[in-house]
Amino acid sequence: MAESLSARNIVKRYGGVVALSDGNLDVHAREVVALIGANGSGKSTMSKVINGVVVLDGGQLLLDGKPVHFPSPQAAKNAGISTVFQELSLIPQMTVAENIWLTREPLNGFGVVDRKAVKTRTEELLALFEGTYKTTLHPDSPIVSLPPDERQIIEILKAISFDPWLIILDEATASLDNRQVQRLFDLVAKWKEQGKAIVFVSHRMEEIFRIADTYTVLRNGRTVGAGSIKDINEQQLIKLMIEKESVLGFLRGEAKSGEKIEKEVSLEVQNLTSSALRDVSFRVHKGELLGIGGLQGQGQYHLLHSLFGDIPYVGTVKLFHKEVRFKHPREAMRGGFALVPGDRAREGLLYIRSILDNMLLPSWRRYGMPLKVSTARKDAAQTGLSLNLKMAGLDAPVSSLSGGNAQKVVIGKWLMRNPQVLLLDDPTKGVDVGSKAEFYSLLTGLSEQGKTILFYSSDDEELIGLCDRVLVMYDGMIRTELSGTTLTKTNLIAASLGATQPHGEVA
Amino acid sequence: MRSSGWESLTGRQPALFALILLVLSVAINLIVQPNMFARETLNSNMRVFLPIILMAVGQAIVILGGGIDISVGGIASIVNAVLATRVGLDGSPGDMWTYVLVSLLIGLLAGGINGFFISYLRLQPIITTYATSFLYGGFALYVLPNPGGGIPGDIAGLYRSSTPFGLPLAFYVIAIVLLLWWYLRSTRYGNFLYAVGGRAQAAYETAVPVNWVQFSTYVVSGLMAALSGVAITMLSGSGNADIGSPMTLNSITAVVIGGNALSGGMGGVAGPVMGAITLGIIQNIISFADINTWWETFVRATIIVVALAAPGLVNLFRRRLL
Repeated sequence: MAESLSARNIVKRYGGVVALSDGNLDVHAREVVALIGANGSGKSTMSKVINGVVVLDGGQLLLDGKPVHFPSPQAAKNAGISTVFQELSLIPQMTVAENIWLTREPLNGFGVVDRKAVKTRTEELLALFEGTYKTTLHPDSPIVSLPPDERQIIEILKAISFDPWLIILDEATASLDNRQVQRLFDLVAKWKEQGKAIVFVSHRMEEIFRIADTYTVLRNGRTVGAGSIKDINEQQLIKLMIEKESVLGFLRGEAKSGEKIEKEVSLEVQNLTSSALRDVSFRVHKGELLGIGGLQGQGQYHLLHSLFGDIPYVGTVKLFHKEVRFKHPREAMRGGFALVPGDRAREGLLYIRSILDNMLLPSWRRYGMPLKVSTARKDAAQTGLSLNLKMAGLDAPVSSLSGGNAQKVVIGKWLMRNPQVLLLDDPTKGVDVGSKAEFYSLLTGLSEQGKTILFYSSDDEELIGLCDRVLVMYDGMIRTELSGTTLTKTNLIAASLGATQPHGEVA
Repeated sequence: MRSSGWESLTGRQPALFALILLVLSVAINLIVQPNMFARETLNSNMRVFLPIILMAVGQAIVILGGGIDISVGGIASIVNAVLATRVGLDGSPGDMWTYVLVSLLIGLLAGGINGFFISYLRLQPIITTYATSFLYGGFALYVLPNPGGGIPGDIAGLYRSSTPFGLPLAFYVIAIVLLLWWYLRSTRYGNFLYAVGGRAQAAYETAVPVNWVQFSTYVVSGLMAALSGVAITMLSGSGNADIGSPMTLNSITAVVIGGNALSGGMGGVAGPVMGAITLGIIQNIISFADINTWWETFVRATIIVVALAAPGLVNLFRRRLL
């Protein structure tokens, strides 16, 4: 068994996006390393470099001090490195046993898979979590028939089935209940005694302090801190995760206008529940720019898409005290809602079509039959001008625009309909700094005009700089509402991680 | 989420539906053709079904692996054209065996070309094999521009009337193919096939050689299409470079009737074999019942459309209930 693995100055780019610019990580046998970082800090990329799923663009991996290269998952596996993937790596149609032993099936003569051996060995593994199953889990159960927590357990069992020396647990506890988490941690303790090493990627502070021996913090693709967990506390960890150089001042000046408290309630959401949301309730005022924060995938997508009639839900939504229930985005659109989706290229735009086509897509109906194309052109040009859209012409394809300008087209197509409620799903992602500034003044301008805006952003600074109130989502619920003096970066991140003290100023 | 009883039944026994359809169609066929199980009738039926059965087996393996092969008909056409021109009506058995071997190599090569484009260049299976179907069909026409030629009658007779131990030759061929499949299914390769067809990314992360598995399915399919071409040439005894083109849709229909998911990763090969026999019997019924032959195309097309639409319709119905 190996003794240590080190990642040195790892660089990984996806297209033009740098996911890791200087990633460092040291793992030793008989140790649990917590790999921590905010959204997009490069945690997942780091684990994918170590387990060979992606090939690194720079830097070095050292196994027991000797350089190694993992061009494929197979190569990392041969070196004894195993991963519990966040997006499970199970084949839904196949059985529990087939999934666990895939590529390592015990064979009889003539290359035939020894089904008996597979079954007994699977039963031995299943026994590790004995007593925490909710169904009668059996080696021959197909994965599709299992609830999410049991799928997660199978993924864990699959990862340990070849007795690796290094186990990467990427958000492995997210779908487990308390008993299952406890069982996993008991196992982790046992693995440590056996001389294994564990990389624990998690957002949950409480769990990190329960089982980790050391920590490594990533921020913006760099390792910014590492050490023994005994020498640090929650607040210090959070501080490490926060960006120091800040564009906050630049935001503050023009953004907040303050006196919006006594305005009319425009949108009221009561007990919204769906597959990914639990009992979400809040109110937004006319002319308010309400922030939604939290880590990615905590229900923000579902919240915005439910309001837009895209995802079915249980609960009540009231617009100006009248209940609305949109069953299709078209109804939401006619009800005065607009959604700027998170995945611009796939959901927001017809990429190869022209700017004109994209801008007018929701509004063609208003230009009559036969279409008054020249009026439509004039209106589109007007909107483009008001957004300061830099383009070669209305007939240029959207694919020719930069990220910021493409996003302006998405916003522009909705502004042409003059919506009452704007739902924004991380609109400044992949947008350059200059366009960001324009967005901020656009958003404040729209809220001053009396629009109701729900603004989810993965950039905490934006939320603090632009919003008076921020709802922090965690695990499909609204964990905390931050406003006024409690709206600080530390609190925002602490609440995102589900940490213990979400309130009060922590300096 | 629990799955319904029907779902888990069809999930675990995907061939069940095929078996029910087969029994039904045999029953109807018995009414219109009471002597269906007489040795001669059985043999004359099975020798007609065999080419589609062989092709459907190859198609089933490609579809299990998450792809589809539209070029199988073209490959069968090449084989027919080669045998009809190179062996000829008065060739020797030696020539025949040589060119059968050449045919199988052609099948492997054609399948290899498909596989290379799809697994290594990552092109879409349906588009790629549609394009190569013209390539292969065109090559068959180049070899044999006008229908004609053929193989010696006594060699064709071997295929048509051999009934070792009183059973049609086709039964033995089917038995061998199924045994080979069951062997393959129980090896690691079998698991890889289902894993790649089920969810290729997960299979890759588990270190399954995804590209290689995809490639291999097209090679197997090319080989089975070539065998199918040999069989149909021996059945007809003559050459026609267009002989394979109507077979492609039949092979896909057989796989669908056989209970395999067109999206891959679900099903087997026994089902598609039964599906191919069912298709043949339907054809039989239509010709015996003295119905216009275009009904046959109509029935076949209806079957495939219904089979494709069924899961979607079930889902739509469920959503309405919610």
